[in-house]
Amino acid sequence: MTRVRAIASLTGLLFLSAAAAYAQVPDPQPVHLYGGNRTWTWVAAQLHILFAAFILGAPIFVVICEWIGMRGKDLRYERLAKEVTKVTAILYSMTALTGALFIFVLLVAYPQFTSWFVSRFSPIFAFIYPGLFIAETIVLYLYWYTWDDWQGPKKARHVALGVLLNIIGTTTLVVINGPTSFMNTPARAAGDVDMDLKTFVFEQASVWELVYNFSWIPLNIHRFIGNVVFGGFIAGLIAAYMYMAAKSEEDRAYYDWMGFIGNLIGVGALLLLPFAGYLLAFEFFEYDASIGPYMMADQLSMFFELQGALVGLIFLASNYYIWLSMKRIEGLEDARGTIGMPLMMILFPIVMLPALQLAPLYEAVIGWPTFFGLLIATLVLPPVIARIPPFRKWTVSPTIIIKLGFLMVIFGNAIWMTPHAFVATQALATHETELPDVGFIIGAFAYSTSDLALMPTKNVAVALIVLVTIINFLIYNRAIRRGRIQWGKIDFVSQFVLIFLAFSAIYTMCLMGTVRSLVRKYYHVYNVLPDFTVESFTPTLVYGGYLWIGITLVFYAVVSFAIWVSLKPGAEKATAPASAQSGMPELAAQAK
Amino acid sequence: MFLFNIVKKTFFGVLLSLVVWWVSGAMHFPFVFQVMFVLYVVLGVTVFILLDAPPLKPISGGFAVLGIGVFYLAISVFFVGGATVLPQYDPNVEKGKIQKILAPRLAKTEYGKRLALQKQVDALNQQAESIMDRLSVIGGTAVAAVGPVTVDSGPLDLASFGDDHVAAGKEVYNLYECYNCHKLGGKGGTKKRGPHMDNLGNILTKELIKQKIFNPMAFYAEGFEKEYKKGLMPKKYKELMTDGELEVLVTYLATLKDTSVKTPKPVFPE
Repeated sequence: MTRVRAIASLTGLLFLSAAAAYAQVPDPQPVHLYGGNRTWTWVAAQLHILFAAFILGAPIFVVICEWIGMRGKDLRYERLAKEVTKVTAILYSMTALTGALFIFVLLVAYPQFTSWFVSRFSPIFAFIYPGLFIAETIVLYLYWYTWDDWQGPKKARHVALGVLLNIIGTTTLVVINGPTSFMNTPARAAGDVDMDLKTFVFEQASVWELVYNFSWIPLNIHRFIGNVVFGGFIAGLIAAYMYMAAKSEEDRAYYDWMGFIGNLIGVGALLLLPFAGYLLAFEFFEYDASIGPYMMADQLSMFFELQGALVGLIFLASNYYIWLSMKRIEGLEDARGTIGMPLMMILFPIVMLPALQLAPLYEAVIGWPTFFGLLIATLVLPPVIARIPPFRKWTVSPTIIIKLGFLMVIFGNAIWMTPHAFVATQALATHETELPDVGFIIGAFAYSTSDLALMPTKNVAVALIVLVTIINFLIYNRAIRRGRIQWGKIDFVSQFVLIFLAFSAIYTMCLMGTVRSLVRKYYHVYNVLPDFTVESFTPTLVYGGYLWIGITLVFYAVVSFAIWVSLKPGAEKATAPASAQSGMPELAAQAK
Repeated sequence: MFLFNIVKKTFFGVLLSLVVWWVSGAMHFPFVFQVMFVLYVVLGVTVFILLDAPPLKPISGGFAVLGIGVFYLAISVFFVGGATVLPQYDPNVEKGKIQKILAPRLAKTEYGKRLALQKQVDALNQQAESIMDRLSVIGGTAVAAVGPVTVDSGPLDLASFGDDHVAAGKEVYNLYECYNCHKLGGKGGTKKRGPHMDNLGNILTKELIKQKIFNPMAFYAEGFEKEYKKGLMPKKYKELMTDGELEVLVTYLATLKDTSVKTPKPVFPE
């Protein structure tokens, strides 16, 4: 009893001294960092996000590759999975380091906001997030270090460990997206409760209510897909470096194949990304309609103009890679396509552009069923027509189809890039700078040049680019099946295309991450907590451009170093089992 | 052969550029749009030249590293160049707005009060130092030359507009960026987001304008039922605007009586 009392007294004393010490600590004041507090926070946050995106995105396709390798006994997949995991394990420490850097910069630059923010989400920042991070660290290293041992009958167990790694990783992403999305769209009191936003956020809302806000789910979807895209393109980058450094035909064949898979994963996921992006923007718009014009018509409009250019370049580059990849297929011309494919590419914009412009008539005259009917007809009719006897004999060379595809991508991107006016904010638009309103009618359809700037037009343009890329992949796939691909014999310039794709993906991520953050305007938490610092304004696009390039180059330097350290020629091969090597001569043989 | 290919495609590109330039000019596209269309023709020609380019010979070792370095440099310049050529929003415009919107709120916080006090203390210290310097250098006569301390009040002060409530209201209209959705005097707004404001004073009473700003679901403008149902007009102004700001904004909007522009009538949902 005496002991209990002594412990209680000691605890009380400790508590009181801690409280007294706490009371003596003055309110934290921001330190003004050279170059600007926002800039340092920006750089630290973006670097952390890039590393985190890779270590979360790569394991998703790594485990799929490992599984495919296990099922199909294809050792190339096994080797790819292991090599990417090796780089991931190295970059994992960079994720932790940049995460710590981000927190320290925040504490120095915005101490009051940071302490409030962390305490408001205390269950997440004190327990859930660190817990998940620790669990992920343990599972990732376990996954890596058991690779060689858990082969043969234990392989399924290893794949299961990879799945667990992905579950933890994705949960971590979803958890941290809660506070992030909260800053953009802080939750309002539900239902008929008449409570102003600040009272609800500061006093009433539970942590779950704060997390489950308007943009949380769309941000989860967008980042999940984005991470896979990113991981795929970085896998392509690894392949490009290693192809350039390869000393043997065998390695060249393998890394050529790896580049192809990286591009396939990157572009495959990229096809979904514009739609996930629309969903996120739509939720912002639903939350507060004034965010829409701020993004698309006001200060951020030219940021989206740059995004259009970058995404267009990424699609062009990935299709160019397909083209280069096809050029080394023997018997390519045997893979002739029907007229359905080119017909679809041409018909789609012709029908859908005016169909979407009739938006005001949707409900009244045309109706959504008719609209979707038109859409389906555009996609279904061409292949059907191509099967009708008179047209069945008409076939088109794959090179012609892909060349037509390039034209359509450029056409679609030009539409995407056409704004209402080339001005920094549409509030400055005048009649002299705006798109002209020239209307013309073709058949049942009415066109107007001013419609080029509207969202329905942009949607058709994006859908066209996606459609063309899908068709190109179908043609490519057919060519691989009917012809004979010569791995290791791809045009060397393709390796620069892979590097370009990864570089552009990183730069675009930096750009769009900035946009998501700037949507909060001069608030830390939109409409709740104003940012009173001198840097709460929207930076110029060119300022952003320099920062994004700087961040991209730093990230690239670190990733390049990690690739060199982990996979440099002459070092121990990342191929797990020695038997995995035996799969490579097959590729080399194909190459000869 | 490749050279001939370049010449052929460039020739075709030049012809196409001329056609695009002429057609877009005839359709009254502004100059910058014409430039953009021609740039897309250039991009297309470049892509088609690349498609038929001969294979690049493999490089390795130091040449490969150098090649990658030069390539990164080229992309970096290209990407930063892309960000540079697009129109830039002048941050000073927004800084002024932010100062006007946030300064009154900052002044009400403990942090803001402390900052204001600190500013006064700094100014007094500076004045004291100045007095000491002058006394020590040129003697007592200089003391009279030291002026009173003035502390910048900072916040947007509607009173600074005096009785000119219309000017104050116009300021509020711009600060809250109403122009993003509404056209006024031919400026601002995008297609079909919010009605034109030009003749609002003849269409709505001050009370109705006030009601619409603080309760956007009260009624809608004729022809904007779809936008009304989507709730496009934000409800946030009730929380963000002060009563004084609302009052002057309404005063300003009520003066807009340009009958040559069609401002739609209100429709009250049943």
